[in-house]
Amino acid sequence: MPTFASDLERDSALTLSQAAIGCEFQIREVEGPACRQLRDIGFCEQMRVKKLTNGRTMLCTVCGTRLALSKDLADQIRVVPA
Amino acid sequence: MSESSIQAKIALVGNPNAGKTTLFNALTGQNQKVGNYAGATVSRKSGTFFTPHGHQFELIDLPGAYSLQANSPDEKITRDVLVGEQDGEETPDLVLCVLDACHLERHLYLLLQIIDLGYPVVAALNKMDSAEAQGLRIDPTALSEDLGVPFVPICATTGRGLTQLKHALRHPFPTAPGRLWKGPSELEEAIEKSTRVSEEKGVRNPAAHGLMNVAEPGSETEDFIQKTRYAYIHRAIEAGLQRPDDASLELTDRLDAHALHPIKGWFIFSGLMLAVFWSIFRFAEIPMGWVEGAFEWLGGTVSGSIGEGDFQSLLVDGVIAGVGGVLVFLPQIILLFFFISLLESSGYMARAAYLMDGIMNKVGLSGKSFLPLLSGYACAIPGVMATRTIPNAKERLATILILPWTSCTARLPVYVLIIPLIFAGALNQGLALFGIYALGTLTALIAAKILKPRLGKTEAPQFLLELPPYQKPQWNHVLRQVWERAFAFIKKAGTVILGLSIILWFLNTYPKSDSDDPAVQQAHSFNGQIGQALEPVVSPLGWDDRMGTAMMASFAAREVFRSSLAISYATDEEDEEGLRGQLSKSTRNDGSALYTPLVGLSIIVFFIYALQCLPTTVVVRRETGSWKWALGQLVGMTLFAYLAALLVYQVGKLLGYS
Repeated sequence: MPTFASDLERDSALTLSQAAIGCEFQIREVEGPACRQLRDIGFCEQMRVKKLTNGRTMLCTVCGTRLALSKDLADQIRVVPA
Repeated sequence: MSESSIQAKIALVGNPNAGKTTLFNALTGQNQKVGNYAGATVSRKSGTFFTPHGHQFELIDLPGAYSLQANSPDEKITRDVLVGEQDGEETPDLVLCVLDACHLERHLYLLLQIIDLGYPVVAALNKMDSAEAQGLRIDPTALSEDLGVPFVPICATTGRGLTQLKHALRHPFPTAPGRLWKGPSELEEAIEKSTRVSEEKGVRNPAAHGLMNVAEPGSETEDFIQKTRYAYIHRAIEAGLQRPDDASLELTDRLDAHALHPIKGWFIFSGLMLAVFWSIFRFAEIPMGWVEGAFEWLGGTVSGSIGEGDFQSLLVDGVIAGVGGVLVFLPQIILLFFFISLLESSGYMARAAYLMDGIMNKVGLSGKSFLPLLSGYACAIPGVMATRTIPNAKERLATILILPWTSCTARLPVYVLIIPLIFAGALNQGLALFGIYALGTLTALIAAKILKPRLGKTEAPQFLLELPPYQKPQWNHVLRQVWERAFAFIKKAGTVILGLSIILWFLNTYPKSDSDDPAVQQAHSFNGQIGQALEPVVSPLGWDDRMGTAMMASFAAREVFRSSLAISYATDEEDEEGLRGQLSKSTRNDGSALYTPLVGLSIIVFFIYALQCLPTTVVVRRETGSWKWALGQLVGMTLFAYLAALLVYQVGKLLGYS
């Protein structure tokens, strides 16, 4: 069932703050109050993202660009392994 | 160049860090004009250039924006100009969109939005050399086919591809491709209806209005359109861009491993800042000697050629001593702006903001507040304006209110005059200057911590910042910025400070006393009388009446403190060591030294904290929209400065220091 499959996929997605450092992920969904700003700067569905550091402010690369973002913003980005 | 020969207006747009300003400078060269947008403090930069076909175009450099859904006042200008809502600004005939070839996926979003507005567009694929070095394979033809606009590979820093770009801007312009994606029928109908309403209202760009009005911020429609555009970009990228699978460890990664390290990063940051302050003292000495020498020579020549009297005194003791006393600091101001520009241009500034985010968060701000605060070290006015990049209104207000405590260059002449009276040796003096800046910053942060919760409830500050790759500084850009600031300083010395020097000389010379004794004349003059009236207020700080007068005068412009002292002490005996020598020799009535280290410290503390800059107050009023904040800041900071200087002097005296 497609609904079940998409629910399963949603459940298997991690937030960017939960994701492991050094691995490549694909952004599955951006949802939350800051989703527009996040998409504007490049955190958009389908984009590949690599997390570089953990912490309260984390570092990532999206399409070769280094971006720094705070944890509550990273919580609004759901990713799956690329 | 006559305005009438301009055949069309081109708007230059692009994401921050796409190389927009470099391209603007490369295309327009010296033919630039800087003004302001009506009703906004954002500067409007425009210039003209010729195409190889002999057409002359006007190019407007719009503020950098990630998208047209404006998140900050800067981005709003870009949006308003393109949508046709900016007062006094016609919509452009063509949009030149600058894209960073290394980060194409992200930059195409803005391009797609502009195409959606119905403009003819030319896309400049900038930084192609870096993209090639990173192994990116970009196919401009495939991108042109997918997006319906010409893509021209360029490198704005080296000038590569600029001729081809000018060829692509041939007149008449290509037709606009129009919106490239289609939504479901309900959305299409809504856009059509909204466009019709905009047409009936007679707005300048109804198609743009129609689309923007449908996609209201935060709506599901906006969310849908955003995702649809990115899906379109994704398809276009598949054909037009190939990235190497294993990104090799680049220079930026290697440098960031140290610069962003939680421990090493702080050592690098502190080391860099210390090096900047040490260099200001060390390297400025030589050119300062030249300026000083030039003014001494000028004073001597004028004294020799004009007979003794009031006119000679006005020129030598008023104009030359006053203006020369301030202009002597030009080398230091040039050096400070040079280093700030250099750090910005090399990409390090964003790293400093990242490092500072943790500390800023502890006081209720974010790393985004750090960049305006750092600009404040150069001048509070651009610093206050730079707060427009802070999306959170309360965080922005708190940053504006504490910003004048990051010591600006106007205080530098005072610090440089006083520090050597307390410390000897370039290293000690550099450390003292670093300490002054650190003290101002620390107090500013503590003030933010106290102030922020009192400004009203707000969500926790969020930090989202692009860290551009490290690059060789663009010397053209650095030198242009330094020149602009140096010129502004010289202009200020030649206008405001010249005027104030003449007034101060007048107040110091008249009314005349019968005595030939300079001390009696000084006491008899208007300045002497003002100083005596002020003495009860300033003597608890350890200051004498002349310092009190100089402090009052410095509320017009801080640099005048030095001019005022120079004019006051010009009535004393000549001293070969200049003003500092005269200060160190001056005594109180009881014969004890006047400029003791403790008094020096009290002056420095006052200058760290006092807000003696009326233009800053005016800009704060404009940016906060309220006199309440602007005047509250002025009075609060000045009162704090007085109390801090009082505390330093009185406690110092109790501890047995002189």
